Amino acid sequence: MNRIFQIARREFVTTAMTKAFIIGALVFPAVIALAIPLIIMLSKQAEAPKVVGTVAIIDPSGLGLERIRASLTPEAISARRPQAASQMQEQAIQQAQSGAQMTPEQATEMMDQARTMSAKIPEFTVEGVADGADLEEQKRAVWDEGPQGQPDSQRRLALIVLDPDAIRRGEGADRFGTFEIFHRPKMDDRIVDEIRDGVREAIQTARYAAYGQDAAWLDALTTVDRPRVIEVTAEGERDSTSAFGMLLPFAFMVLLMMSVMIGSQYLLTTTIEEKSSRVVEVLLSAVSPMQLMTGKVLGQMMVGLVMLAVYGGLGVAALVAFALTNLIEPMSLVYLLAFFILEYVMLASLTAAVGAAVNELREAQSLQGPIIMLVMIPYILWLPLSMGPNALWAQILSFIPPISPFVMMIRVTSTDPPPLWQPLLAIGVNAVGCYVCLWLAAKVFRVGLLMYGKPPNLATLVKWVKMA
Amino acid sequence: MSDAIVLRQVRKTFGEKVAVEGLDLRIPTGSLTGFIGPNGAGKTTTIRMIMAILFPDSGDLEVLGKRSAVQSKDRIGYLPEERGVYKKMKVGAFLEHMARLKGCHGPDVRRRVQRWLAKVELEGVEKKKCEELSKGMQQKVQFISSVIHEPDLVILDEPFSGLDPVNMRLLRDLILEQHTSGRTVIFSTHVMHTAEALCDQIVMISRGKKVLDAPLAEIQRRHEARTIEFEPVQAGGDLGPIERVAGVGAVRRTERGGVAEVREGASVPEVLGRVASAMPMWRVAIQRPSLEDLFIDIVKRQGEEDVEGLRAAMQDAGQLVGAGAQGGES
Repeated sequence: MNRIFQIARREFVTTAMTKAFIIGALVFPAVIALAIPLIIMLSKQAEAPKVVGTVAIIDPSGLGLERIRASLTPEAISARRPQAASQMQEQAIQQAQSGAQMTPEQATEMMDQARTMSAKIPEFTVEGVADGADLEEQKRAVWDEGPQGQPDSQRRLALIVLDPDAIRRGEGADRFGTFEIFHRPKMDDRIVDEIRDGVREAIQTARYAAYGQDAAWLDALTTVDRPRVIEVTAEGERDSTSAFGMLLPFAFMVLLMMSVMIGSQYLLTTTIEEKSSRVVEVLLSAVSPMQLMTGKVLGQMMVGLVMLAVYGGLGVAALVAFALTNLIEPMSLVYLLAFFILEYVMLASLTAAVGAAVNELREAQSLQGPIIMLVMIPYILWLPLSMGPNALWAQILSFIPPISPFVMMIRVTSTDPPPLWQPLLAIGVNAVGCYVCLWLAAKVFRVGLLMYGKPPNLATLVKWVKMA
Repeated sequence: MSDAIVLRQVRKTFGEKVAVEGLDLRIPTGSLTGFIGPNGAGKTTTIRMIMAILFPDSGDLEVLGKRSAVQSKDRIGYLPEERGVYKKMKVGAFLEHMARLKGCHGPDVRRRVQRWLAKVELEGVEKKKCEELSKGMQQKVQFISSVIHEPDLVILDEPFSGLDPVNMRLLRDLILEQHTSGRTVIFSTHVMHTAEALCDQIVMISRGKKVLDAPLAEIQRRHEARTIEFEPVQAGGDLGPIERVAGVGAVRRTERGGVAEVREGASVPEVLGRVASAMPMWRVAIQRPSLEDLFIDIVKRQGEEDVEGLRAAMQDAGQLVGAGAQGGES
């Protein structure tokens, strides 16, 4: 037993105590974790340049100008901003709830809004232009820089042209008219948005007034505040966060997959290294192949656990930061650990066998292919799995090692977890799977370690199992 | 005398190829045995079976009184032919790792590593990575890793390959030291004169079969030297007086003088005396057949595929094996 631990210790030390590992596996995520709040902080400080200039309005009806002037004052603009922020928040939540990915356009829009919020409030001077003025000439004033030394406040930023029926509908028409914005070249689109929102608001209130409606009353009528959604549990009530209900199983599966794959990949590398550097027979003079394999598997399991702890810890820390800890059942973490160990032992023992069978990393790929494909199945299926975690096919898959731990992990963390006996049975089934994998791997490992030359194919491996 | 290793009718095949066939072997405790034979003879396979790294198809073996080396691994030191080091590991850490794997514990391990490094003239390399050492230095480190736990049985597979003469001598002294401190030492080699200079027991193996197994003294006695080497004062002169000496058979001229065969039945010391007085001589000596001659002779005869030749070789080998068995038991 001491020897197994000695091998495991060396395996862990030579893998995890290297600069490459510490930088790659620990420092990198830590930097990202630190960078995210930093980026958020910096982007809050990154203010758009303050804009000063005039906005010309052509309003044929003459009903909108004063309202537009009022809605483009710095006070009105800053009053609109928190509204935009809460709108954005609502949009984000809706999107997360629908489970759909954001389209690039949506993402850009959200980012734009975020930037608008951080921009300095522009100072617009609104000037009315008489209806009937030459439109082309007015447009020219937008792009024409004007005489040298003209102060910024006199620079024309945009020209707004309201339709004659923008505020009062034409006789017999169903719809109202709208407006056009002509703005100068290379103007920040956030400024354009500010102008658009202001004009839109002004037209709205002008319409209410034109038709004798009480703006406050209409606003009250059409607004339904966002409801509070509460989850009722035996322990009491808590805010519902169903948006993450789908993401959580995925996060757990990815965490499981990543730590398992990293551990077994290191195992493959060190096994091949021991074989190709011919140190393996020296080791075999002191320990049996089974002890060697067990020690190596254990050592790299520790490496995998470190990864699991680091990334899992980051995830939990993030949940704590956003006060979402109620999302995770403590039992999920227990399952995560149990399924990690089971999946890792199965995968790692097979990987160790592959490592022992080949002479260099390149040759390992063809033998490792089927193993990796097996692991990828639940990755491909996670969406249907988390939508229907108790479908018959999902239930069947959750009892087939070595896919079972991934599928069961998705199921137990889903919104509709299976009855307790199912994960327990899966643990039992996987324990048997571990035994079979270890048994097979030990045979291949023992024969393979001292075989040099042509890399074996699957048929040769089967022969070795029979031979050993 | 008890035996450190006993093999009975051991057979090992790899697919079609028979690597070892019907091998009987006894290695007396405390002996220094040379395991010799050409490349591919089955030496490494036999050693791996002794070490329980490979398992025989049939037959059984005993190592240090146990059914398998697995049960007595801490008492065995093994230097495989395919040997390497962890390239990226520091020498000290590597040796400590190996010592711990072989059952050494406690703070003593580090001191032991330092003592051994000093002994093989490798002070100060402890903190170096193994890959920074020369091949010869690596080999010394490997040797240390095989004996650091002070085993009762030391098995060295081709320990001398790749060493320069200085290091070869150093290693030879280390092996002799292991032997004189009472340990059983087995080493395989195809460098015959090393075996001859070092061993007290020789096992010769060819094509998976044992062809010779006897104490070196016994082999030398059985293959009694019947050739006399001489260097006359007057080099290149007439060798007639030698040819006429009673008991001398064929005489052959060599670069410095000549060699004379002693006839069957004649006493070698008497003939030697007569040769010495036949003409003025710088030197007269009995020429021993080297192990290499013997080895090449046996292997050559084995190589003959015709039944008669092979039988003759086997009969000869059989006699020698018989002699070896006697020698082993005496």
